[in-house]
Amino acid sequence: MSASVRRLLSLPDWAREVRVLAGADGLDREVSLVRAVLGPAPRHPAVAGELVVLVGEMFLGDWRLDALLRRVADAGGAGVLVSGEPPLGSRLLGDRLELPLLAGTADPLDLLTEARLLLAAPDLDGARVVMAAHRAFGDRLSPPDAVVTGLGELLRAPVALLDDNGDLLAGDADGLGLVRVHEPVPQRIELPDGLLLAHPAIPPGTSRPELWLTVGLHGSAAARAEVVPPALVVAADAVQRWLLAQRLELERDARSRAALLGDLLRLDGEPTAELRRRAADAGWRLGGWHVGFRIGARATVDTVARGQEVIRSLGGHGVDATVVEHGDGWTAWVTFGQEPTAERVQELAARLRAAHRELRARVGTHMGVGRPHPRPAGLAATLAEATDAARLAATRPETGHFLHVDQLGMAQLLLEWTRTDTFEPAARTLLAPLAGLPGDLVRTLAAYLDAESSIAETAAVLGVHRNTVAARIGRVEQLLAVDLHQRDERLALHLACRTVILAEG
Amino acid sequence: MRINTADVAALERGVSLLGSGGGGDTLTAAVLLRQRLAAGRSVSVTSVSALDGRAWVVPVGVIGATAVFAEKLPGGHEFRTAVAAIRRWTARPVDAVMSIEVGGLNGLMPLVVAGDLGLSTVDADLSGRGLPRLDQLSVAAVGRGLAPAALAEPSGQVLVLAEGTSADVERAARAFLTGAGGWAVLALAPIQVSQLAECAVIGSVSGALELGRRALTVGPEPDLDELATAVGGRLLAAGRILEVTWRAGPAQHGRTGFGRGSLTLREHRAGTLLRLEMENEYLLAVSDGVPVASTPDVLVVLDRRTGVPISCDVVRPGIEVAVLQLPAPVFWTDPARLPVVWPRAFGVDCDPVLLGAPG
Repeated sequence: MSASVRRLLSLPDWAREVRVLAGADGLDREVSLVRAVLGPAPRHPAVAGELVVLVGEMFLGDWRLDALLRRVADAGGAGVLVSGEPPLGSRLLGDRLELPLLAGTADPLDLLTEARLLLAAPDLDGARVVMAAHRAFGDRLSPPDAVVTGLGELLRAPVALLDDNGDLLAGDADGLGLVRVHEPVPQRIELPDGLLLAHPAIPPGTSRPELWLTVGLHGSAAARAEVVPPALVVAADAVQRWLLAQRLELERDARSRAALLGDLLRLDGEPTAELRRRAADAGWRLGGWHVGFRIGARATVDTVARGQEVIRSLGGHGVDATVVEHGDGWTAWVTFGQEPTAERVQELAARLRAAHRELRARVGTHMGVGRPHPRPAGLAATLAEATDAARLAATRPETGHFLHVDQLGMAQLLLEWTRTDTFEPAARTLLAPLAGLPGDLVRTLAAYLDAESSIAETAAVLGVHRNTVAARIGRVEQLLAVDLHQRDERLALHLACRTVILAEG
Repeated sequence: MRINTADVAALERGVSLLGSGGGGDTLTAAVLLRQRLAAGRSVSVTSVSALDGRAWVVPVGVIGATAVFAEKLPGGHEFRTAVAAIRRWTARPVDAVMSIEVGGLNGLMPLVVAGDLGLSTVDADLSGRGLPRLDQLSVAAVGRGLAPAALAEPSGQVLVLAEGTSADVERAARAFLTGAGGWAVLALAPIQVSQLAECAVIGSVSGALELGRRALTVGPEPDLDELATAVGGRLLAAGRILEVTWRAGPAQHGRTGFGRGSLTLREHRAGTLLRLEMENEYLLAVSDGVPVASTPDVLVVLDRRTGVPISCDVVRPGIEVAVLQLPAPVFWTDPARLPVVWPRAFGVDCDPVLLGAPG
């Protein structure tokens, strides 16, 4: 840290006790070191940025004062402070060298101390802040919200906690949208009136920051840009530690919940007393009516870490659901005391759709919702419907990757059931003779059956001439040795086409 | 070598240049010398080589407050008395005299008194320039010592210092001067000519004459660079004196030392500030805080208009001056002798900065 000579002269004691005798043109020289020198010892090694304070008994008419001025000037020093009145020659030399020659009337050591305190102030401030940060966050687990509040009080500056999308979780929305969340390094962002410091909290074993702590330094506080980062690191460590502890808790919890859910889904008949107790311990109500829903995610998504986010999203839309990390996603349900009315189910579905829209934007999920079913056995049923619906939703961008079984209709679910491990190979075998032949026969057949066996409609859908369609259908009947007027054969082929086309995506 | 009336001006200029700001006012001595010449006295300087090696030479000179010398004129007997006293004490014959200090008035006085005493003057001295203290004389520097020494003052007191170190002699002589009215004539024990080469500065009187002649050839209102070249020296600065300060100097041998002074001038051309530290002589030149010249080189402050050297005791602010550095007598550049006359010998904490020396 350095300060100009002019800045030193504004210190209270200096302003009162120190006069500029010469070298006023050099008052903007930067002082990085204030050193007491006992008399103008000829071999005193001057260094850049040095302000020499002459102490001890000394005759200021000594030529060595001139020599000292020259040495300090040559070394890029900042000035010389003496007690008393040097002769004209020395003052003229100070002017000539543009090196401030200062005369103090106070004890030079007092002046030296005051100047040194100024120079050391940022270090002292930094040490104080880091110590305070360690005291506040160092020895116990504090939730990130408390860290944000504590750090804000400590620094007297706006502090915010952002998630990995840069959205505000806690604190003052200061530099929202400025943090480059995809660069997991401490950041220093210029603001119009200061500086925004951001520090990522990166849990061990991952490279992506989960949370960001930011501090806005506005106006004169920007001068503390070197002071704040170490404290920010301590706070970010505290957040990281909390994440880690939280994660352990969640993992443990998730494992037991997943096991409990598995037991419930495998349930055949009424649950045992032991199972009921475990469910009660987990806060699950097995009685009443359940509406299950399934949130599917890509295999790469960390469902345990994101579980809180899912609960937060649902809670944000007024859905108080039980959420269990389960496979590649989450299995969840809402329990009603009585059979829910159609309106209540519709309202719930609307809330879920809204929550899912938000969740999908961040995590890339798909969601299916089942119908209300009562009692423990009903839980398994609604969840099975939801799971099927979710699987279908994954391929339905037009519905926002959201499907509600009520709207879905059982027929589509039936169709979905054809996508089983046994049906799909059979469907492929049935259509195998058409594979690899010119004319896209499978798609033509599918379109023909979808169009209720209308040649004209099929031609319009495929954008080809209807004679072409007629010729292709003729070839299909020939190759497969089927009669498309037979309804059973038509149904079997229709299902097979759907399955193969769906599978080929 | 005969000295004519025409030579007096050059010799005076030469010895006052070598005085390095000290050595006393040469005016009175020059008047006395011209008086002797006008009276038809023959004044000559004999070179060391022209003398019999067995001849004995007495070093003589005026010591003390030389300013008083101009006011309280010599009665004429002081040199005779001092030489007689040292001859009686040492029981040696005296064949010639020599100067203790070529710089300043003592560069001229032996020429004045040699004729009075019926002796010749030897072309040598014990300083080679102006020096303030007896214990800095060449005989002290080479370890011969000063004692015995005879002092004679105008009111008639005669003192012989029979034994003692050079420092003792210096101290005792100063104490005597205090009670004797300011100045006295000093005569040291006779030195045989054959030994002069190792304990004295040879050829210094003819050297001073030559130096003065060269200085005068440049003429009044001299071109300073030309003058510096003519006298074999270096021009340190030319400018106006801004400040002259005096203070008590460091104590010497337990008594108050000589006054210590500083002067600062601003160089016209570059604005450089040249500071001279002085006592009885100019001792150190500091240019913008960097020492650039020091004793034992001869530092001279000249009136810029007339080229006349200005001594330390009359230099004052406002005058236009030039500062020259002349090389030290070779005698003093010997590393064994240098510490006797380098800046630290005067209490100036600085390494010597000499012409022709590295650094």
